[in-house]
Amino acid sequence: MNLDSLKKKISDLESNAKIEFGSAKDKLELDIIYRSYLGKKGEVNILLKSLGSLPQEKRKEAGKLLNNLKSDLEKNYALTSSLLNDKANLSRLGKDKLDISLPGFGSRKGTIHPVTRTIRSVCNFFEQMGFDVEAGPEAEIDYYNFEALNVPEDHPAKDMHDTFYLNNEGLLRTHTSPVQIRTMEKSEAPHRIICPGKVYRKDSDLTHTPMFHQIEGLVVEEGASFAQLKGLLNDFLTDFFGEEVELRFRPSYFPFTEPSAEVDIRWKKNWLEVLGCGMVHPNVLKSVGVDTKKYSGFAFGLGVERMAMLKYNIPDLRAFFENDIRFLDQF
Amino acid sequence: MQFSKNWLKDFIDIDLSTEIICSQLTMAGLEVDGYEDVSSKITGKDSIIKLDITPNRGDCFSVLGVARELSVINNLKLSLPNISSIESSFKDEIKVKACAEAPSYFGRTIRDISVNSKTLPLIAERLKFSDQKLIDPVVDITNYILLELGQPLHAFDRDKLRGNITVRTAFNKEKIKLLDDQELVLDNSCLVISDEESAVAFAGIMGGKESAVSASTNSIFLESAFFKPSIIRGKARRYGFQTDASLRFERGVDYKIQEIAIDRASILLRDTVGGRFSEVTSSTLKNKLPKQTKINLDLEKSNSLLGTKISKQVALRYFKGLGFAPESLKNSSISAIPPSWRYDLTIEADLVEELARLEGYDSLPKLSLHPIYKKIEPNSQSHLSNLLSAKGFNETISYSFVSKSDHDLFGEGVTALEVKNPISQNMSVMRTNLVSGLVRTFLHNLNHGQHSQRLFEIGNTFSLKNTKEVTEKNTLAGLMSGKVNEDNWKEKAKDISFYDLKGVIQDLVREFKGPCVFETCKIDFLHPGMSSLIKLNNKIIGFMGSLQPTYLDRLGLSEDIYIFSIELNGLQKNVTSTYKEYSKFPSSSRDLSFIVDKSIASSSIENVIKSAAGIFFKDIEIFDVYAGKGIAEEKKSIAISVSWQSSKQTLKDSDIDSAVERIVNSMKKKLGGELRV
Repeated sequence: MNLDSLKKKISDLESNAKIEFGSAKDKLELDIIYRSYLGKKGEVNILLKSLGSLPQEKRKEAGKLLNNLKSDLEKNYALTSSLLNDKANLSRLGKDKLDISLPGFGSRKGTIHPVTRTIRSVCNFFEQMGFDVEAGPEAEIDYYNFEALNVPEDHPAKDMHDTFYLNNEGLLRTHTSPVQIRTMEKSEAPHRIICPGKVYRKDSDLTHTPMFHQIEGLVVEEGASFAQLKGLLNDFLTDFFGEEVELRFRPSYFPFTEPSAEVDIRWKKNWLEVLGCGMVHPNVLKSVGVDTKKYSGFAFGLGVERMAMLKYNIPDLRAFFENDIRFLDQF
Repeated sequence: MQFSKNWLKDFIDIDLSTEIICSQLTMAGLEVDGYEDVSSKITGKDSIIKLDITPNRGDCFSVLGVARELSVINNLKLSLPNISSIESSFKDEIKVKACAEAPSYFGRTIRDISVNSKTLPLIAERLKFSDQKLIDPVVDITNYILLELGQPLHAFDRDKLRGNITVRTAFNKEKIKLLDDQELVLDNSCLVISDEESAVAFAGIMGGKESAVSASTNSIFLESAFFKPSIIRGKARRYGFQTDASLRFERGVDYKIQEIAIDRASILLRDTVGGRFSEVTSSTLKNKLPKQTKINLDLEKSNSLLGTKISKQVALRYFKGLGFAPESLKNSSISAIPPSWRYDLTIEADLVEELARLEGYDSLPKLSLHPIYKKIEPNSQSHLSNLLSAKGFNETISYSFVSKSDHDLFGEGVTALEVKNPISQNMSVMRTNLVSGLVRTFLHNLNHGQHSQRLFEIGNTFSLKNTKEVTEKNTLAGLMSGKVNEDNWKEKAKDISFYDLKGVIQDLVREFKGPCVFETCKIDFLHPGMSSLIKLNNKIIGFMGSLQPTYLDRLGLSEDIYIFSIELNGLQKNVTSTYKEYSKFPSSSRDLSFIVDKSIASSSIENVIKSAAGIFFKDIEIFDVYAGKGIAEEKKSIAISVSWQSSKQTLKDSDIDSAVERIVNSMKKKLGGELRV
């Protein structure tokens, strides 16, 4: 072989390859053609191997020509390949058209009970104010539920709580206030605690269920004042309802607070009772050994279901314990 | 208590709208339940005001008490209606004797009354507005005085009394038949009014039947006594009832009003039934009357507690208005003796409340409480709830009390705590686990067309030890039934199986520290072949499984229900504390399939493989379990993918080959497993 015939071969090879590349219908076909020219056993390599038959002085020039051919074809291949890709993508885009309005496949989402949601939201506010969340037993004894809270035996105040008594001589707590006593017994003042939990009263009608949830709060600090109690509850109710609510404090009676107050909020023109509160009665502080010269305290308690009913506009208290999925699914 | 608004005008010259009066009372701590406008045939426009009186304000169980509050609030003069002693025409033969528990007793005989006369129209109307039934003129007047002055009176048929009157404690097992025909057996904690033969009244609570006033009564003996709250408290309730009298006595009646009340009643009786009046006979043990002690108030301290600036002058005015005898002391101090009708005022804090009440709670200032920084620990209970709700579970809350029959079904034989006075027999046993609540909720929703359900609850369970000791456990339990997913337009969802339940449990348990194993269990309500105990750190923390078929039958169910329960107390949260470097070298894996006896648990196969796989062992995954055609009966095929990895190098095939050989030998030796080729 001489240089001229090589040149001719190169130019034939180039034009044939380009025609064939151009005729490839898809990437797969193109790659087969590519291998037949530029693969290990492809035409270009065969030519490269034939260089040995050329005279020494021509080899360099021939090598250069072949390298040019190679890079030329590589470029052409890359260009064709990207054109074919674009064409394939375009046709996919045209063909793959889904009815995107059909529903997706997925599993059902569960829900968190509105009572739990309400407790979380209340505790969240108070935790940020530095309150510890505390819990206590639901099966209580008279001492923690009444006596230590300044409710003596046979006192008419016990009528405010229709108590369930148990066969172990204990009772089901009628409020979360026993947790106050248990907490103050086990740790020293100052205290900021919040105690959510179930409570029980023997009462069942449209507006009462024999079990419900309460959240009790207690602050025992130097200088704890009624003004702070008012401020705190005002801030809390604003936080809870997400807007400023009109509220009023009015005198009430709880054996374990003095002065005692009831907090009403203005709800669709009417006043609705949402909270009971007051300054912790000195007898209560004394019963747990808190130095009343140094510390004063205030406490408050709220009904969780009542708050949830207001927040979510739930008309019937009994829905909370019926657990109908059509109800639960809304939270 | 409810009463006519116009009645207040007997005591105070008040000219405010009902709405304003109600608002004033509510804001003073006498909550108004509501009011109703009515028209009186005698006084014209009127309203019935309904009060919800707190137990500390026994003094406001009368029109006088309410009028007194309004007089202080509106700075009005309070005056009592016509109360002058009536002329007596003879000396009573009856002598009365007070006692420590009844330190003041007044009585008088009225002879020749005309019991057929009619109750005065104003009295009749006011009683009606107070929801008080009209009985006869004598009883109506005693009821009227009770409402007007708060002093319960009692009228005996004079001719049925035998000799003198004593107030004494009842004998043990002493019987008495009361006005309402109920017969009580008393004991020595009860107080009775007794003549010389027997008890004639349950003191302060209700009169006796035998000495009751009737249509044939000609003479009466009128009683106006003071009984101490402590002796009346709880007595009526113990026998399952309450009366207007006991309600007032147990909260405390003004111990200085008995004579005024008997005089007032006498005037009304004279005007209604006529008759001849004896002198008032009485017995008073002065040193046994309640003692009102002087209370000192540090106004400065009280002002700082309330955030107020009440001056001494204003404070003295408030206390005087309330009937105290206040005195100004040195510095910022005041001392005051509470009036005879207030039993709720004994310490300084009580006076602080009176000041706050009169100042108006609403006008007291507000101060924001300063937040204190505190680390908020993540709530693991919320975390578990969120995890379950993401897995499609609805959180439920059921009553903590269940029926006896549900306890027998689902109670696991645990001794239950029982409610002595349940609201119904369906709510008489404290739950020992959460299963029956979940099952009941499931049934409720199934009846409303919900076939696929995932429910969970977190709550306390109760058990009793040695008849006294209660153990409360915070428990998480759940129920699954129906389909794994919702059906969709492309494919139908599969039914939930035991392994779907186990998958949930594995995800839950991963939240806690320690190795978890599952062991077969025997729980009555679970299918023995489809249930398991859950053990964490070698301690049983719960169970899971499918409800026993006989239980399904009993509940009328055709679908399988899967249940789990985990006790949360004492579980430690699994938290990442330090990062562990992961290997950057590739891992190699081999798929191995063994034929073993059907009875061999996959966990034992895993254990054998793990211990034979060598130091580079990384993971094991069961990807197929098969029994049936092509496999001998009593045998199953289990296909496992085992992987290895080193943190220092890429493993060579020869390393893996020798590990596989060890596994195959060990499987054969320990479990008789044959490699399937």
